[in-house]
Amino acid sequence: MFLLDFFWSLWESITHILTFSRNPQNNKLSIHVKSNTGSSVDVDLDPQWDIGTLKEAIAPKIGLPADDMEIILAGKSLDDSTTIAECDLGEQSVLHAVKSHGQRQRRSRPLNQIMSDLVEENDATLTTVSEVPENQDSVQPPVADSEEKQQKNAHFYVYCSVCMTKSTGNPATPLKPKEGKLRVRCFSCKSGAIQLDSDPASWSDVLEPARVSGDCQEQGCSDGPVAWAEFFFKCAEHVPKSENESAAVPLYLIRANSRSTPCLACMDVLDTVVVFSCAHTICLDCFNDYMTSKIRERKFVLDDNVGYSLPCPVGCEGSLITEIHHFRLLAPNLYNLYQQFATEDFVLKSGGVLCPHPNCGMGIYPDDDCNTVRCTCGYVFCKRCLQGNHIGDCDNAVDILTGLSPSYTIDPSRAAQSKWDEASHRSIRAGTKPCPKCRTATERAGGCMHMVCTRCDFEWCWVCQTSWTRSCMGSHWFG
Amino acid sequence: MALKFNRNKHNSKIILDGERWERRLQKELMSLVREPPPGVVVDSDQGENLSLWTINMTGAEGTLYEGEHFTLQFKFSPKYPFDSPEVTFIGPNIPVHPHVYSNGHICLSILTDDWSPALSVQTVCLSIVSMLSSCKEKKRPPDNSFYVKTCNKNPKKTKWWYHDDTV
Repeated sequence: MFLLDFFWSLWESITHILTFSRNPQNNKLSIHVKSNTGSSVDVDLDPQWDIGTLKEAIAPKIGLPADDMEIILAGKSLDDSTTIAECDLGEQSVLHAVKSHGQRQRRSRPLNQIMSDLVEENDATLTTVSEVPENQDSVQPPVADSEEKQQKNAHFYVYCSVCMTKSTGNPATPLKPKEGKLRVRCFSCKSGAIQLDSDPASWSDVLEPARVSGDCQEQGCSDGPVAWAEFFFKCAEHVPKSENESAAVPLYLIRANSRSTPCLACMDVLDTVVVFSCAHTICLDCFNDYMTSKIRERKFVLDDNVGYSLPCPVGCEGSLITEIHHFRLLAPNLYNLYQQFATEDFVLKSGGVLCPHPNCGMGIYPDDDCNTVRCTCGYVFCKRCLQGNHIGDCDNAVDILTGLSPSYTIDPSRAAQSKWDEASHRSIRAGTKPCPKCRTATERAGGCMHMVCTRCDFEWCWVCQTSWTRSCMGSHWFG
Repeated sequence: MALKFNRNKHNSKIILDGERWERRLQKELMSLVREPPPGVVVDSDQGENLSLWTINMTGAEGTLYEGEHFTLQFKFSPKYPFDSPEVTFIGPNIPVHPHVYSNGHICLSILTDDWSPALSVQTVCLSIVSMLSSCKEKKRPPDNSFYVKTCNKNPKKTKWWYHDDTV
């Protein structure tokens, strides 16, 4: 009997630890309650408490009678019967206590539950185009029972600069998105003591500021009862170090897979998926495979409005990812490559050149009226052929060797006698041809005459030095 | 080739052994064996090597290829399905068709430029079946002899011009 008791208590403590690690809301939470008059109290509360109990507990400290108080979280005045556990609060969260206006006692659900409906509605309008191969459901594993699903709260995923820029050890490991919490503040005074006049009706209402109006109850707010609200996200996976910590970026294409849509690549049904604007759905691992293969092939798209981005893997029109923080999920070494390619492509597209000196690659916007470009690395080159600086035509130019580094100078006549340098220039000129489109020096190490530029994707003919045509294929494909 | 299922109790996900691209191929194979497109016969035993499939195809009734038997070969890379499969006709009987070269290479845009990971072995087979079925005259492509002499073994290395959607 004693032994049994011992095991029972052991079991209880294990399950306690397990539930604690999964859901910290089952334990005491310490949070801040701010009043709109500027005072603030720290409270340790039990997640099983309801809002009415909380009001009683803080009434003496705030100096407002409980009956006369409203608690505001994420733009919503919380109903007395709502429990803390329903509210999606984390350690060090902030609640706002304001004086009640009297008539404003309509029942209101927490924002995360409203958003849960919104996310599902959006899914419903989107899932008509799904183009996964037929018959795949015959091999589908049985879908999770609905009762196993967690409480009906929206899950948001964010890029958190605090959690996700820490060195994780292996720079080749892709990152996982963090869970986020949705919050609301006044657009003008940035106080959280604002009550929304209406619920957001779409994702755009959440992602763009000043689309939903509210009543800001912060004392001294210039907008007061006719304020605009601004939604923002917080990372749910770390305890904020300060109240002014910068907001997390919503990765809004990442969703809980509420409709059990199989991934279009691996066909597994997974809990968390990326849903593109065209409704094509891919799991997080395959999304990373997709980004990885596209960045290695340098096949991202530079869009004037969006930046360096990708469409959905099927290539649907208008499906470019508009929030480029989704690419922060790339392994850190590939994200560095993403940043490099994005910058280089931007410089080239906007009329700049890249310094051709090995290990430099500096982006430079040259003057319109001069072909000579001087890089900060000391290299001087011709902006048209990207070879060393020369006089006259690019095709039969003789290099003028100018100072390679600002710290010392080279006598041009002596440098010209340097056999090694001249020889290497000669062999580069003899062995390579510039890509007809981007002028990148290209060496043909064998194979056919059909060249594909690794830099700009241009397909060209080694013989004609123009674009690859059917007649090239017919007359001199293999020389 | 057997499928191994491990049921994970907590999140009700089924985890299959092997890499993701192999798992997808296993699923595709199972569904293709169960419900093949008309005229297509797939052996569920593709040997140890999941990256190389052989698929048998019979010309549909009422078409120029009625009763003929063809064999298709699919080669997959670990980048599948982000990278298209390499698909060729193999064996003694290569269909005589304006888009099929006598070495088995097929000029079909979804095999290169228009490939998308949402396509599958099933949709490729369907396209090839319909390409054969809609043919009005049995003949080789005009540049067949030159192409076959000079091309790379891998048809994906060829720059294709898709100029004719009528056959």
